[in-house]
Amino acid sequence: MSVTHDEVLKIARLAELEVSEEALPLLAEQMSRILEYVAQINAVPASEGVKPFVPGPDALRFRADEVKPIPLAFGPETLAPAFKDGFFLVPKLGAFEGADL
Amino acid sequence: MSDQSEALASAKAAADRLVKAKRLNACLTPVRELRKALVTQAQAAHPSGVLYGMPVAVKDNICTLEFTTTCGSKILEAYRSPYEATAVAKLKAAGALIAGKTNCDEFAMGSSTEHSAYGRTLHPFDKTRVPGGSSGGSAALVAAGAVPAALGSETGGSVRQPASLCGVVGIKPTYGRVSRWGLVAFGSSLDQIGVLGRSVHDAARVLAVISGRDPKDSTCEDRDPLRLPNVPESLQGFVIGIPKEYFPADLDPAVRRGCDRAVRLFKELGAAVREVALPHTAYAVPTYYILAPAEASSNLARYDGARYGPRFDGTADVRALYRTTRGEGFGAEVRRRILLGTYVLSSGYYDAYYRKAQQMRALIAQDFRNAFDRGVDLLFTPTTPSPAFKAGEKLNDPVAMYLSDIFTVTANLAGLPAISIPIGRIKGLPIGGQFIGQAFLEDEMLEAAYALERVVPATEEA
Repeated sequence: MSVTHDEVLKIARLAELEVSEEALPLLAEQMSRILEYVAQINAVPASEGVKPFVPGPDALRFRADEVKPIPLAFGPETLAPAFKDGFFLVPKLGAFEGADL
Repeated sequence: MSDQSEALASAKAAADRLVKAKRLNACLTPVRELRKALVTQAQAAHPSGVLYGMPVAVKDNICTLEFTTTCGSKILEAYRSPYEATAVAKLKAAGALIAGKTNCDEFAMGSSTEHSAYGRTLHPFDKTRVPGGSSGGSAALVAAGAVPAALGSETGGSVRQPASLCGVVGIKPTYGRVSRWGLVAFGSSLDQIGVLGRSVHDAARVLAVISGRDPKDSTCEDRDPLRLPNVPESLQGFVIGIPKEYFPADLDPAVRRGCDRAVRLFKELGAAVREVALPHTAYAVPTYYILAPAEASSNLARYDGARYGPRFDGTADVRALYRTTRGEGFGAEVRRRILLGTYVLSSGYYDAYYRKAQQMRALIAQDFRNAFDRGVDLLFTPTTPSPAFKAGEKLNDPVAMYLSDIFTVTANLAGLPAISIPIGRIKGLPIGGQFIGQAFLEDEMLEAAYALERVVPATEEA
């Protein structure tokens, strides 16, 4: 299992984590080694059908892991003048100074 | 203790001892603040409390009102929690004095207390070595005699491993025995608050106080607090299982000798000893290092510079603020685990890693159930494969560092109680032996630990 620099950068973007260019080679090398090490669990056969083990009170159980649509008639981008990457874009606070609010 | 003047004397003596232990870098609370807080608490402590006047240090990932809670991280520098952990509130209600916050690996991710933003903690017997981790500060303070007990936290052995390396007792309770309210989340399905103590009794007394139901934590079982067992005269009637997978051919020979000596003592105490098999043990560390980073990547998403701690300015937009704050605020090990966790949860890899690891966890838990179903009361193993290692020795080799938890992670994956007690020394360095018990049968586990502690030559060479 070899993790490329591009994959590290992609994962870092998903994790909202800045990774410097200098840190990339070591990080990619260490992640590759760790992933190679943990992948040995795939050598264990016939674990399909095994129910996940959840410690704690019996009442505590996982919900089904499924993607559901957001129950809005219109997407949030239709509700604001500017919307990007899941965020509403608003003026910087300084822009309000002196404004008649 | 019978009156408040004794609590005040205890507070002052504890502060003096903590000052003496300062060279270990085990306590993160400044001395002046610590003295003041200890005296204030002693004046308010209720003399009828079962822990009246007992100083208890608290790992820095457990929320307190008196002190900052930084989790050993720059991203929470100077952070003060607006509430305190249930475990801390219970200690104070029992008359204990919170004796400062202890150093730890950042967000409890590590096995050496070298991954703290506030510098590494030194081993109390040999400053060139590590005290273990992540609760290394708590272990070092107890071993140095600064406090009789301290709270730590466990996700994969972070109480028992440093306890073993420092020659003190470390207890990890059953998952759900102690409330996690106010314990900063790392791997929520694995995390438990645990106790380090200079003796089984000191640790057990503290555990009894912090255990029990808590409506604020849905993962805390609706049970009464733990009742302490009596110290048994013998281990007659106990069946102790020795899992062969915990004694590999390359185990340090002195660790093996120490465990063999403990087994001989069990037999002399009247216990039956039986070899058992836990066949999925070899997969415990890989399983853990998929599940724990996956949970961590989700739990640590909240540290974004907007809600907690310092903000490292990103100029462009809110995303840049998040990325810069997290990139600069987290240390190398935490960054690595967040990336690993995000990777194994991401589309295309989820089934191969996360789902498979969940199945492996179930198989590991089943191994324990099988052993206990065959009449074994407790399991006995080494706590760690070797004594304390040199500082820096494993810093650049994450897999080697992770393997120092090889004998402890299984109890966390299976949610079982476990205790490490000192069983001997190797060239002056402590080694520990571990009992793993059945869920919510901490009393049985403590009985065996009491009995072994009474007879084992813990300060002699193995």
